[in-house]
Formats: sequence, structure tokens, C-alpha cells
Amino acid sequence: MNRRAARRTGWNAVGLLVFVVAVFPVFWMVSTAFKTDDQINALTPTWFPTHPTLRHFRDALDKPYFWADVKNSIIVVVFTVGIAMVLAFLAAVALSKYRFTGRKLFIILVIGVQMLPGAGLIIPLYVVLARFHEVNTLTGVILVYLTGALPFSVWTLRGFIIGIPKELEEAAMVDGSTRFGAFTRILLPLVAPGLVATSVFAFITSWNEYIFARVLLNDGSKQTITVWLSYFLGTSRQTDWGALMAASTLTAIPVVIFFLLIQRRIAFGLTAGAVRG
Amino acid sequence: MRLRVVVAAALAVALGAMAATAGASSGRAQANKLTVWLQVDAQSGWPDVVAAANQQFQQQNPGWTVDVQYQNWGDHLQKFDATIAGNDTPDVIEMGNTEMTAYMASGAFADLTGSKGEFQNSGTWLAGLAKSGMYGGKLYGVPYYAGSRVVTYRSDLFKKAGITSSPTSIAQLTADLAKVANMEKGVKGFTPMYLAGTDWYSALDWVFDYGGSIATTHAHKWVGTLDSPQSIAGLTAYKNFFDTVAQKSAATLDEANPAPYTVYSQGLTAAILGPAWFSCCTGTKYKNVTAQFVMPSHTAGKPIPGFLGGSDLAVPAQSGQKAQAVQWISDFTNTSNEQSLQAKGNIPNATNLLANTVNARAAARSWFVPQAKHWVDVENGNILRTMLAQILTGKLSVAQAASTASANIAYTLNQS
Amino acid sequence: MATAAGTTTKWSRQRPLSMRRLGRGAVPYALVAPVVVVMGAILGYPLYSLVRLSLDRYGLFELIQHKGVYIGLKNFGSVLHDSVFWHTLVRTIVFAAANVGLTMVIGTLIALLLVQISTWVRLLVTAGLVLVWSMPPVVAVQVWNWMTNVQNGVLNYVLTELHFGNYFQHNWYTSPFSQLSMVTTLIVWGALPFVVITVYAALSQVPRELVEAAEIDGARSWRVFKDVTVPVITPVLLILTSLSILWDFGVFTQPYLLIGQPHITTGNYLMGIYLFEQGYVSANFGRGAAISILMLVIVAALSVVYVRRMIRIGEVT
Repeated sequence: MNRRAARRTGWNAVGLLVFVVAVFPVFWMVSTAFKTDDQINALTPTWFPTHPTLRHFRDALDKPYFWADVKNSIIVVVFTVGIAMVLAFLAAVALSKYRFTGRKLFIILVIGVQMLPGAGLIIPLYVVLARFHEVNTLTGVILVYLTGALPFSVWTLRGFIIGIPKELEEAAMVDGSTRFGAFTRILLPLVAPGLVATSVFAFITSWNEYIFARVLLNDGSKQTITVWLSYFLGTSRQTDWGALMAASTLTAIPVVIFFLLIQRRIAFGLTAGAVRG
Repeated sequence: MRLRVVVAAALAVALGAMAATAGASSGRAQANKLTVWLQVDAQSGWPDVVAAANQQFQQQNPGWTVDVQYQNWGDHLQKFDATIAGNDTPDVIEMGNTEMTAYMASGAFADLTGSKGEFQNSGTWLAGLAKSGMYGGKLYGVPYYAGSRVVTYRSDLFKKAGITSSPTSIAQLTADLAKVANMEKGVKGFTPMYLAGTDWYSALDWVFDYGGSIATTHAHKWVGTLDSPQSIAGLTAYKNFFDTVAQKSAATLDEANPAPYTVYSQGLTAAILGPAWFSCCTGTKYKNVTAQFVMPSHTAGKPIPGFLGGSDLAVPAQSGQKAQAVQWISDFTNTSNEQSLQAKGNIPNATNLLANTVNARAAARSWFVPQAKHWVDVENGNILRTMLAQILTGKLSVAQAASTASANIAYTLNQS
Repeated sequence: MATAAGTTTKWSRQRPLSMRRLGRGAVPYALVAPVVVVMGAILGYPLYSLVRLSLDRYGLFELIQHKGVYIGLKNFGSVLHDSVFWHTLVRTIVFAAANVGLTMVIGTLIALLLVQISTWVRLLVTAGLVLVWSMPPVVAVQVWNWMTNVQNGVLNYVLTELHFGNYFQHNWYTSPFSQLSMVTTLIVWGALPFVVITVYAALSQVPRELVEAAEIDGARSWRVFKDVTVPVITPVLLILTSLSILWDFGVFTQPYLLIGQPHITTGNYLMGIYLFEQGYVSANFGRGAAISILMLVIVAALSVVYVRRMIRIGEVT
């Protein structure tokens, strides 16, 4: 083995260590979810569930509203991400392709919104939404999440659009195609990786959000999945670790699926956007 | 160009979404709907009682629906505040009995004094619990249920150690536990009795047992009394008891994490002190060797005064449907429902319903927190837990820790 | 869709003169308008009422009356005279610095490592990071709780088995320092995926030929790193650092849930918790609003570099 290969092996070993340490908490969660209560309580941990049980998953799914709340989360996320992408894309075009008075102000607005302490706005936001009867509706939550998703999305998309060579745009125009045609054929495919990368971030933050969803949604059938999960802890009675870990696993699964669907685009998308950030 | 299709579809979805959200906003002010906030305990513990009450209510009020929304203890008050600000409160809300005073003093609840007669057994309500729903001589909170604290123990270990009867004094309990400890010396991590050090609901039993208290009013001001000689005697006795029978590393722990019954179900302790429903979760292995007795006082033959935790039901002042709210509460707390609650390990809200359970016997002597507007701040500021941790870890002497805590409590309660 | 189509009129810079210029001058405003309108509509009134609230005595009583009592700047005065505020501020700055520093250093190191390792290991590590990323903080807190619990937490077991000492029933949450350290492990762990993947993406932009050319030149790898790699990833690192500062300074969920309400005291407050406890839990909403505004000012001050840089790179080139 030459020195180069030896070094490679060494780094690979370090990489594997990083993998093990990073993934261990996830592994422990899933593994616990499959263990029997006796194994969970034992002083000496069982690494792998030797007699895997689905009981905890059944307990978790028996908790009312799991499916309804998954559906709500998906609705909230799809709408938040969808609307945020469209609006942010438009604003990003303005930011990257035009000079105009008030640009700086707009940039400051975009950055400033990210600095607002969310907790401080809970009651004022509630009052506004209540006035328009948007409390206890998913619409209200989507509106609030938009204020979180938009600034980041505007900024990231700007990085993608700015990178599109002017020649390409002009070529499209000369081509004689209609404006809309030029838009969809040339620009969108070029920006698509950026849209994917940006929506990953918007997706994760909206899926994971808890506090506003907790305050704004009251009906069990109208809540999101993180709020559903919190009911495993809110009682003054027992915390059932097995069911909690099973429920947590269930909560994470949709995100993993989403990642699997788009994984090929992530790296590329982030590359382009990040560098020009 | 598959990508283009994907993106176009995404755009279409997003735009459609916008249109849909714009149209979908539903009005809230729904007629004939009663909104009830209960704690999640009801959802997991006694959904049948809730269903029975709803059914009865709907029979009396045809065409009405009841929307029961479950809340968590950790954040239900913050949620309630938001609904007050948004003029959007529920019609009935469950409140922890220590949470009532601040809201009653601020005028958050409707005066139910005139409707008292509509609640079954209201003549015989548990005095301790009923008091938590009264302010300025008026009734704002209807007692829902209570819970006292008892000792859940391993009868097999006690028997094996030659103990044949329940201890009748703290001294005897200490001696019994010493026998068990001696027997189980070999078990790694075993502690004769598991106490979470900062569990003030249990620890202050000793303060009240020795005649102490938390705070009293004097000339319209609150005076902290944890540094009184009686309170200090009680805290010292608690420390001695803890040092003798409990697990040292638990001195700074709270009663939620780990739950005492978890330690119990791991086979690492012979006894735990806490709510009677702890027997639910002692593990399959020990189900048949688990029993309960009333925690004894230091005075032989008496129970130790226990914290009477519990819940009240109140009608927010902003509710537009107070008559129905009262009726629902009355249905929910009727005799048969309260008896069902008792069957689930709770103490019912009236003395005439009390069965001869350990739980009920323990409730014979009880204590309660000072009924001050700012008591909630003392709880949330964790003043008592800090004091207990200081005492049990030996960081401060009992007298020092108690006098600091006492001053803090007085300061907090006397805020404007 | 009309606006979207309109955007393609002309990507190039505005040219002076003619009536058409006016029409085109409106284009960027039309493009920005939806975002401004949405944010303005949702946040406008809340921001206004936050400022109003900060000037009022506004407790539970006032909340029920829907009417505060104007007291001028007294809320700000009382917060600024509160020693707990200053201690909390210092603690939060140290805490945020530690978290941001660890996140960035470890994140960059792992990203650099990804460049060095075989493809299959890289895929494995990336997949692992994605798994980590997909854990909601609410879930992660519970897993941490479970792994570090006193009775039979797996962390104590592993450390004892590896002969790091006797960690049997070791309590990881005894002092503010140990509590916040545990929170740090949780936050850094959760923040790594985003940082690693972004930095790795930036690293993959480093021209391979340049690195190889430099290596053939016999340049030391350190020099290659310094002269070729660092300039490429610096802007990314700067932005990630700034974003991390924003997030870590105001962090609430992880410390509040991991330390646990029963153990939250003035001795381990972070700003987010200070705001929550003093504004919401004690139902002193005016004070809470004042704290929110102060936090906004402090974060703005802390990230002045970021804002200036953003405005600079925001220029159309």
C-alpha cells in the first residue's frame, strides 16, 4: 500500500467515525422504538432490539389524529414552500437584475425580519390572526411561516439568478420565442436547482416548527405533526419512552422521504447558490 | 426536460394553493358550539368520562356540538393568554388549582356563585380543592378532581425483610427501609426509597408536618415563613430522611425526569412517594407485588400532610355562552362521572363520594400553596426547587437556604 | 402569471429616457411588491403593537381589559437596571459564540474531510447528515433526554464501559455550565448538516486543476489550501457564521426543553428564555415587548458586519 492509499484509508476511518457519532442519536431513537419495555428500562442497554416489537408504533398510532396531523403538516409545508418560492423568485429577479431606488431598504427588510425574536411576536400575531378569523386554521400558520421562509428564500434565489449568463437570456429573446416561452424554457430550468435547494430549507423549517403551530392551532384534527408529538410529553403522567421514540421516528419519516426524492438535486443546488451567496 | 415539467407543476400547485387558501379561510364564530379546554390527562386517562358528559350535554341542548381541545400543562396558560388577547377564549377551561388565583384576581373568569346549586355535590365539595376556586368570597372555579400523595412500595421486599405492617411514623418507615436496604445491599444502584430531591410537592410535606408554612399575610403584605423555626425543623427532617434513605445523585433531580415509577420499574428502589396513580406504571414484573400506604407523619399514628394537587373548571369572562358552559361543567362533574374519575385513581371532588382508598385517607391531612396573585411566579421561578437543591447538596445550610428562599418568595408575592 | 411573464421583458440594466423607461422602472417594484405586501400585512401590525406594548404596563389585568397603561420608557429602564438582564446577555453572548464557533469549525473540518475520502464513505456520511437534518428539534431534545438520563442513559453506560471513569448514574445537568454544555452538543449536532453540506458544496467549486497544478508545482498542501481553497469558501463561511449567530443568539426550544422548566432559573437563563419567562410566563407583556426590542437591537449590532456585507454583495454587478 503506498502512502497515498494509506492516507486515504486513514481519512476514511475518520469519516466512518463521524458517521457513527452523527447518526448514533437517530439510531438510538429507532432502536429504542422497537425494544420491549423491559429492554428500555434495563440498566444495561440493548444495542439492537433482539425481539423487535411493533407495540410502541401501534400505541403511537392509536393516539388520535396522527394521520390528520400528518396531512395538515404536508398541506402547511406544500403551501408555504410553494407560495414562498413563487414570491421569492419574483423578488429575487428584481434584486439580481434591476437597480432601483429602495433596493437597500428592501435588503435591510429581508435581513431585519430574520432578526426578529419570534417569541416576542406570539401574542401580537395571534391578535392579528384572530381579528381575521385565521386562528385555528392552517391558513394562519401558513401566513406566519411565510414570514420565516420568504427572507431566506429571496436571498438564496438571488444567488442563483445572478449567476445566469446574460447571453443565455438574450439568446432566448433573439430566438423569436415568446417572452413566456423564453421564461419557461431558458430561465426556469436554470433556476430549478436553486428552487430545489431553497425549498429544502423552507421545507425543513416549516415541517419542524413547533411554537407558532402550538399557539395558533387548537383542534386536535387541525394541528401539525410536531404539536401532535408534544402530547406525548404534556401530560402530568407517565412518559412512555418507547411510544415517544416510535412517534418521533414516525415524525421524521416524511422528511427522510422528501430528501430521498430530491437528494440528487441537493448537492448541485446548494453548490451554485451557496458560492454566490 | 423532465425538470421543466416538475417546476411548472410546482408553480401551478403554488398558485392554485394561493387561490385555495384565499378561499378557504373559514369563519370561526360558529353558533351552537361549545369550546372546552381540558388537559391531555383526560384524553389519555378518561376519554369515556368526557364522552359521557358531551352526550348528556347534547341531549339537553339539541343541535349543539362540544369541541374538546386538549392542552399540555407546559404551555396552556400562554395559549390561554393569547386567546384572551385575541378575544377568542374557550368557553370552559381546566386550570391547575395553583394557577387559579392570578387569573381570578385579574378578572379572567366569570363569577359562578349564583350557579353553585347547579353542580351536584357542591354542598360537600372537598374543602381544600373548593378553596382554590374561590376569590374574594366568590366562586370562579368548580372542583374537578384532586390527587394526594402516597407511598407506592414493593410488598415482596418489605415482607422478605420481615416487615408485616405499614409503618405508622417516619421513624418506623426509616427503620423498615434500613432493613430492606441491608437486604438488597448487593443490587447495584439500589436505593431503599427513591425521592426526587427538588420535588417540592413532596418535600414541603415535612415543613407542614412540623407546623411550618410557606408564607402568610400580615397587614396586607405577604411574609415568607420558610425560615420560621417550625419550617426549618421540617426542612432539616426532610434532609435527614433524604440522606438516610434516598439516592444521593437524585438531590438535584425533579420528579418528572426520571419519573420515580421508572426507577421503581427498574427494580432499583423499594418505595416511591407520589400520586396514587403511580401504581399504573410500576412495570409488569412488579405488578403483583406492589401496594400502597399513606405516608406517615413524624407523629406516630398520623398521616403526613400531603399537597392537595388538583384541577378546577372555570368559565372565561369573555365566553359568549356562559349558561351552556355552566351546564357542561355540571354534566362533567356529576356524581357518576366523579365516581369514574375515582375509579381511575383520582380523588373525586366531594367528600360524600370518597371511597375508603389510600388516596382518600392520605387526603385527610393536606396543605396548599398561598393563595396569592403572584404564587405562579414563585413556582415558575423555581424558588423552592433551588432551595431544596441547595439544602440536599449541602451547598448551603438549611437555615441559609430557607431564609434566602423565604425572602425571594415574599418579594415575588408582594409585587404589584 | 402575468407578472412572471412581465419579468422577461428585459433582463438588462435600465436605459435612460423615453416613456418606456417609466413603464420599465415599475417592473422591479412590481416584482418585489408581493413579498413586501405579504410581510407587511402579516408583520406590520404585530411590530407596531410590539412597540406600543413596550411603552405600556400590560399585565394579565390589562390583557383582559384590552387596554394598557402608558408608562413611557419604564419597561426599558427596569430591564436595563435588572442585573439578571446583563448576566443573561453576557451568558448568551458567550454561549452563542461557543455554539457558532464549534458549529463552524467542526462543520468546516467535516466538509474538508468529505473531499479527502472515498466516494462510498462520503455518500454514507452525507446520508447520515441528511438523517440528522430531518430530525425536528422537538424530537432531538427528547432523544438527548433519553440518551443522557441519570438512571440508564446510554451515554453514562458507554463512557463507563470505555473506562473514562465511573459515570454510573451521573447527572449531566447539575450546574448551569453543564446544562448549557449539553444544550451546546444538541445545537451543534443539529446545525452541522446544513453547514457541512453548504461548505462542501462550496469546496467542490474549488477548481481541481488549480489544486493539482499547485501540487505538481511542489507547493505545500497548506499553501494550496490557504491560497486556493480559503478564498473560495470564505464568503460562504461568513454568511453561515452570521446566520448561525442570528439563530443561536435567540435560541429557545432546545435549552428550554432540554434543561427542563423545573431547572430553569435566573442562573441559567439565555435571552430567549429570559424573554419567555419574564414576558409570557409572568404575564408581564409590556416588559416582554421591551425585551424583544432590546434583543432585536443587540442582534442587529452583533451582525452589523453581515448586514453590511449583504448590502454590498446585493449590488447588481
